[in-house]
Amino acid sequence: MLLPDYQFSKPATLAEALAVLQSGPGEVRLLAGGTDVIFNMRGRLFTPDILLSLRDLPELQGVSQLPDGSLSLGAGCRLTDLERHPQVKRYPGLVSALRAVASRHVRNMATLGGNLNLDTRCWYTNQTAEWRKAKGPCLKTGVDACHAIKSSPVCVALNASDTAPAFVVLNASAVLASARGERTVRLADFYTDDGIAHTLRQPDEIMRAIILPPPAGRMVYIKETARKGNDFAYATIAAWADGAGEQCSHLRIALGSLTTRPLALQALADELVANGMSDGAIAAAAEHVRGALGTLTNLYTPAAYKGRIARSLFIEALEQLRDL
Amino acid sequence: MTGKQILRLTVNGDDYELLVSPRQTLLDVIRDQVGLTGTKEGCTTGSCGVCTVNNARGEAILSCLTPALEWQGRAVTTIEGLERNGELDAIQQAFIDYGAVQCGFCTPGVIMSAKAVVNSGAYLNEDEINDGMAGVLCRCTGHIKVKQAIRNVADFQKDQSPVNRSNK
Repeated sequence: MLLPDYQFSKPATLAEALAVLQSGPGEVRLLAGGTDVIFNMRGRLFTPDILLSLRDLPELQGVSQLPDGSLSLGAGCRLTDLERHPQVKRYPGLVSALRAVASRHVRNMATLGGNLNLDTRCWYTNQTAEWRKAKGPCLKTGVDACHAIKSSPVCVALNASDTAPAFVVLNASAVLASARGERTVRLADFYTDDGIAHTLRQPDEIMRAIILPPPAGRMVYIKETARKGNDFAYATIAAWADGAGEQCSHLRIALGSLTTRPLALQALADELVANGMSDGAIAAAAEHVRGALGTLTNLYTPAAYKGRIARSLFIEALEQLRDL
Repeated sequence: MTGKQILRLTVNGDDYELLVSPRQTLLDVIRDQVGLTGTKEGCTTGSCGVCTVNNARGEAILSCLTPALEWQGRAVTTIEGLERNGELDAIQQAFIDYGAVQCGFCTPGVIMSAKAVVNSGAYLNEDEINDGMAGVLCRCTGHIKVKQAIRNVADFQKDQSPVNRSNK
């Protein structure tokens, strides 16, 4: 089956690409690795007028160390290249997250910017165009209705980015470029509670790079899936701490693939900083994970099961982090 | 809506200039315009891997998720490009020797994935083989014989590598 009709635009520089975004009218969709965009175009979920290819933009390539020891990762870097990069290997938790994405085939194509800007998904949007047509449209496809939670006023589709929780706990920031200039947004603030406008990236902006603070502390990343390879997650967790053993003065925990955004569990993390990461303290904090998640949907798996997975991942990740 | 463009593409070392629509993927072009039908269309959504071809670096990529025009000026190797001067590639021969084939539909994608695995280095552990093959599915015969065939070629490469030869 051919893709829907569109105009293919392949600018040579970031400035040219930003100009295309300004030129309007018509919907412009950014194309990086294509592994999600082309998938969604096949399903006619995306029917852009223009695909703007970012693949070869030099400004989006490369990994470089900044004067303060931070690392700048080009948003156009392929996941395969990042997970093998000597500078990135100094963040072993991040390498685990990068390797958790789909399959080697996909990671040979998919980019960092693409994964962090991955559109949200639910069991409805994942179906074919014919299936969706029979069911009728939803918030994401143009009407005021949600098939996942009937009463929901907003889209509850999941953020399935495997790497987003890792960047959140690493306190990374995104550099967003536009014709107006550049701005930097912490990944922890980048995602929203709306499954449609699910990031702070504006339509005229392109994610140029991710800035990682210098390597420090210890980190754990776990992805829970039905199958080991090439699968979307039931849930992911990333946890980062300084200190050693049960003691730390900073702890950050984020769960992924459960709601429209990576969920930071800062109140529970602060509790563990105060009490130490003993088995008892971890188990006590784990009892509050389900409550901290808020309303979960039955997307992919029942909400009750997701709550149990989140609790188990929380215990597993923090015990591993303590014992690192 | 929009006009076709000329795509300059190198397939298995041969240069092509093709009139291509944005609606076509690399898979469509390889099969319908270049006329090499060894590369198969499966799920077209990146799950099954039967459309796998190798890029210029010898890595596995999914031709069904690649807009053809993204491959402007680039090279690709398909299953037809492995044979040289009438001789099968070592990985093809290993698949025959180990019987790593049943119905054969996925075989081009499995072999191009396996080729990418053996391209990636002389020293391959079990995890690296699994990692390289997780994105391609065989629903008939499973992956045991496939992995044995890869192991055989990898071990041969290891024996041939300069480091090992100097140690003998």
